[in-house]
Amino acid sequence: MITVGLDLGTQSVKAIILKDGEVVSRGRAFSGFDPAEAAEQALGEALKAAKLSLSDVNHVTATGSGMDLASNSNSTISMMGADAQAGVYLFLKARTIIDVGAEEARAVKCDEKGIMMDFVVNERCAAGAGAFIEAMARALEVKMEDMGPLSLKAERASSINASCVIFGESDVVTLIHRQESKPEIARAIFDAMADRVSSMVYRLGVNPDVVLLGGVARDVGFVASLKRKLGIDVLIPEYPEFAGALGAALVAAKRAKKV
Amino acid sequence: MNSQNVEKKYTPEISQKEIEELRNTIQATSQKIIAENIEKMKKADPNRPKALQYFDEMANFVSREKEIRVEKEKGRKVIGYMCLFAPTELILAAGAIPVRVNSGWYDAAKLGDRVVPVEVCPMVRSTIGAKMIALSPYLEVSDALISVLTCDGMTKLGEILSDYTQVWSMTLPRVKDSEQSARLWREEIKAMKGQIEALTGNKIGRKQLKSAIELTQKATRAFRRLQELRKASPVIMGRDAMLVNQTYMWDNIERWTEKTEALCDQLEERVRKKIWACPPDTPRVMITGTPMIWPDNWKLPTLIEEGTPPGVLVADELCSSERILYDPVGVDEWSMSDMLNAISERYLMASTCPCFTSKDGNEDRINWLVNKIKEWNIQGVIYYVHRGCILYAMEYTRVKKVLDRLAIPVYYLDTEYTREDVGQMKTRVEAFLEMLSARIDL
Repeated sequence: MITVGLDLGTQSVKAIILKDGEVVSRGRAFSGFDPAEAAEQALGEALKAAKLSLSDVNHVTATGSGMDLASNSNSTISMMGADAQAGVYLFLKARTIIDVGAEEARAVKCDEKGIMMDFVVNERCAAGAGAFIEAMARALEVKMEDMGPLSLKAERASSINASCVIFGESDVVTLIHRQESKPEIARAIFDAMADRVSSMVYRLGVNPDVVLLGGVARDVGFVASLKRKLGIDVLIPEYPEFAGALGAALVAAKRAKKV
Repeated sequence: MNSQNVEKKYTPEISQKEIEELRNTIQATSQKIIAENIEKMKKADPNRPKALQYFDEMANFVSREKEIRVEKEKGRKVIGYMCLFAPTELILAAGAIPVRVNSGWYDAAKLGDRVVPVEVCPMVRSTIGAKMIALSPYLEVSDALISVLTCDGMTKLGEILSDYTQVWSMTLPRVKDSEQSARLWREEIKAMKGQIEALTGNKIGRKQLKSAIELTQKATRAFRRLQELRKASPVIMGRDAMLVNQTYMWDNIERWTEKTEALCDQLEERVRKKIWACPPDTPRVMITGTPMIWPDNWKLPTLIEEGTPPGVLVADELCSSERILYDPVGVDEWSMSDMLNAISERYLMASTCPCFTSKDGNEDRINWLVNKIKEWNIQGVIYYVHRGCILYAMEYTRVKKVLDRLAIPVYYLDTEYTREDVGQMKTRVEAFLEMLSARIDL
C-alpha cells in the first residue's frame, strides 16, 4: 500500500511517500505565495524519486497550517495529531512530542499508540519559533545557519526577553551596545526561545521520552539550550522537518486500510 | 440629563459626523454578521425547530429596540446592567425594563482603544467604544446603568460610562462565604431598591416584588427545562441554545418564557421521534470562561459546531448563557425583608464568577463544572479567555487539575475581539475535536 503525507507549512511544503509503512521518498518546496502549487511540486518531487505516479497512491493526507489548500489530498489531520503519530513511529517510547517550526511551537502528549492526549501551542507570536532565530540572526549580521554553532562558543549566559520578536530585537541591540560578544548574544537568543518552549512543555507535563521535531530541531544551539532548560535528553530524528508529513502519511495508511 | 453638557472625564470628543460614519459602518457589518450567523445556524440543523424563528428575530436588535422605545414614550424607565449581579426583580417590580448592555461588537473595541490600553479586556473596550458612537440600542435606551464592581475592568467601565449616563455602582464582596459579605451585599441590594424607586418614581411594594420574583422563577423553570433537554442525545445545536439563553438579557421576560416553553415542547416532540440536531456520536463539548456576546463574538461556538471533525456544544459555564438564570430566587415567607434577603442570596451565592474567593477558593465553579461534566456527559472542555481577563486566566490551573483527575481533556484558548485570528483558532479547535473523536474511537 502506498500513501502520501503532505505538510503545508508556513515556510515550506514537505511530502513523504510511505510504502507498506516504510518511507520511500521525500519532496520539498518553498510555500511562497501559492502553497497549493508548492504542494504539487513537493509531491511531484517525491513521486519522481520513488518512480511512482499519483494513480499508484492509495490515500493522501494533508496537515500543516495550509492543509485545506492541498488539491490532491483525500483527508486532513491536525498538526498535533500528525506530530503524535510521527513521534511514536520514530521513537517507540515517545510520550511528549515538541515541534518547533518556522512560525509556531507546540507540544503534544500522546499514548503508546500515538494518539494525542493533550496539547499546547505557543501564543500568537513567533518568539518561540524559527522566525525568531531568523530575525535575530539579521540583527547580529550572521547567517541563520551559523547561529547555533556560534552560540556553542559562548562562555557565559546573558539574557533577553523573548515575549515578542520586535522586543527581542531591541533587547539584542541593547546587548550589542553593552558590547557582549556575538556567541553570548546568540546563546541568549536560544535560551530565551528554549524558555518559552520549555514553559509550554511544563504546562503539559514532561513525560519521557521527549522528542523534538520540526525544522528548528536541526539547530544545535536551540537543542543545547532546550536540553539545559528541560534537564533531560531530547531525542531528534534524522529528518525532523519531515515529521509532520510523516505523521500525515501514517494517518493516510490507517485511513486507506479502513476504506 | 443632556450628555452633551457633561464634562467628560475619560472619553474624547468626537465630531457628530465621525460618530455617524463609524456607527453606520459598524452597523452595516453587524447586520451582515447577524444574517451570516443565523444562516449558518439554520444550515447546521436541517430540521431546526420552527420555534427558534422567534429568537432569530430577537437577535436582530431592531424589533426589540422599537418596542422598548414605545414603552419609554409611555413613561417606562429602562435600567441597563453589565454584570449578572444586578437585581432584575427589583427593576421589574418598579415597572422598569432591565437590559444587559455588554457589547459583542468587535469593531467597537478598536474605538475603546482611544480611551484605554489594548491590554484591557476587549469586552470592556468594546462597550466603551459602543457608547462613544451610540452603537448599542440597549445602552442607548438605558436611563441608568447598574455597574457591579466585579473585576477591575468592570469597575472602571462603569466610571467611564458615567461620562454619558448615570451609573449606579454596587460594591460586590469578594469573599463569598462570610457573614460580613452577606450583610454588605444585602445592604447594597436595599440601597439599589431605593435608587430604582427614585428613578422610576414607583414604590416597590410587597405585591409588586412578589410578582416580579414569580416572573423570573417561571423564566428560570423554562430555562432549566431547555438545559435539561441538552443532557441526552443532541436535540438542539449549542449555538441555538446559546442564542435562546442570551436573548433573555434583552427580551420581555414574560414573552421570552412563553417562547422558550414552546421551543421545549417542540424539542420534546423531537426526542420522541428521535430526530437529532446532529449525529448522536458527535463529541460533546462544554465551554467555560469569559462571556460571549452576540453578534460578533460567536466565533468559538461556530468553529466547534462547524469543525472538521465537528463537535456539539451541550453545556457551558458562561455568564452570557447558562449562568444567566440557572438558579431561582428561593423565597420562604413572602414578606418584604424575606424577599430582599432571598434576592440578595441568589445573586451572591449562585454566582460562579472568578471574581470570588472563599475558604475553598472558587469551589462553586469547580462543582458546577464537575456536575455538568457528569450529568451532561461532557467529553471535552474548551476554556475560553479574552486576553486581558486575568481572573479567568488565573483560575485555569485549578480547573485543569480537577479535569485531569476526571480524565476530561481541556484546552485553553485565548483570543481577542477580532476576526483575524479565526484561522489560528480553527487549527487549535479542530486539533482538540480530532483528539476527542480519536478518544471516542478507542
